[in-house]
Amino acid sequence: MTSLTLSHFLFTSAVLFVIGVIGFVTRRNMIVMFLCTELMFQGAAIAMVSVGRYHLDVSGQVFVIFILTIAAAEAALALALVVLLFRRRETLNAEAWSELGEP
Amino acid sequence: MRPHNGRHILAAQMAPNILYTGCVLGAIGIYLLLRPGPRSLKAVGVLLGLGAMGWVFKASAEAFTGPGDRPTFFFYVFSGIAIAAAVRMITHHRPVYSALYFVMVVLSSAALFLLLEAEFLAFALVIVYAGAILITYLFVLMLAHQAPEPGEEAAQPDYDVLPREPAAAATVGFIMLALLSDTVFLGASELRPGPVPSEVTPDNIDQVGMALIADFPVSLELAGVILLMAMYGAVVLARRQIELSEGSR
Repeated sequence: MTSLTLSHFLFTSAVLFVIGVIGFVTRRNMIVMFLCTELMFQGAAIAMVSVGRYHLDVSGQVFVIFILTIAAAEAALALALVVLLFRRRETLNAEAWSELGEP
Repeated sequence: MRPHNGRHILAAQMAPNILYTGCVLGAIGIYLLLRPGPRSLKAVGVLLGLGAMGWVFKASAEAFTGPGDRPTFFFYVFSGIAIAAAVRMITHHRPVYSALYFVMVVLSSAALFLLLEAEFLAFALVIVYAGAILITYLFVLMLAHQAPEPGEEAAQPDYDVLPREPAAAATVGFIMLALLSDTVFLGASELRPGPVPSEVTPDNIDQVGMALIADFPVSLELAGVILLMAMYGAVVLARRQIELSEGSR
């Protein structure tokens, strides 16, 4: 094993982010789509903390605290909206809303 | 993880071909895993994905020679767990399992934060993400999904099993990964490291607290306002009564 560089952590964060992107584009269940955005948040968080550590600055971690805040707020509002949408059309399929006219 | 003197070697010797081949193999692997197909194809997909990741990691490790100063074994283990759980999360046909695999991603990401000496953030991640946000997701999933009766067939609805354009998604995703990792391997060596502090640094949680209060007070206040708005919005949204159709009563 060689030493651990910044590139290792950035590669892991890039892979997690891209897997989140693929999942978001591919899955049709609304809740799983929001879970994939949370996965993208994880990738960005790892990138920020590792670059902050590289520069011996704690600002990367402070930014990730704000990411946690925004993710919590987004999860609450997104899930409230998903529950409302589910009550309308009785399905979690995102393609049920592909046409926004009245049923 | 101190910046190493020989880091320019990484930029010179890490040929882009290894990276791009790894990305192509990974794309094929993810595509095979996304489609609902026979088990043999999924096994091939898993092998291709693991092989691609392992190859790129190994090539990046070989291009860089230097003394080890950080337990890299734990990095490989936890990032392997994180990536495997993420792939399983996006390919599983039951949403509850996706949420649980995401908890596994959060736990391995917290372990990576521990490797980076960010202890407060590791615990905050576990408490807030796995303890609050994911529990909320699981509650809403259980509200929105009815379990199948014992008599009827335990088949998942169409939108859970069939992916939407997996080939295009895998292609676009891994082109993006090739670009991102390109800049990582050919550009991370250009980052100038910051100055090494001369005095003894306090604990991680002291540092984070001081930085929050001293350097980012406005953002801290704004974060509190955002949380208040989210709570307010969730209460307003949940109060609305929608008339359920006759079939669902």
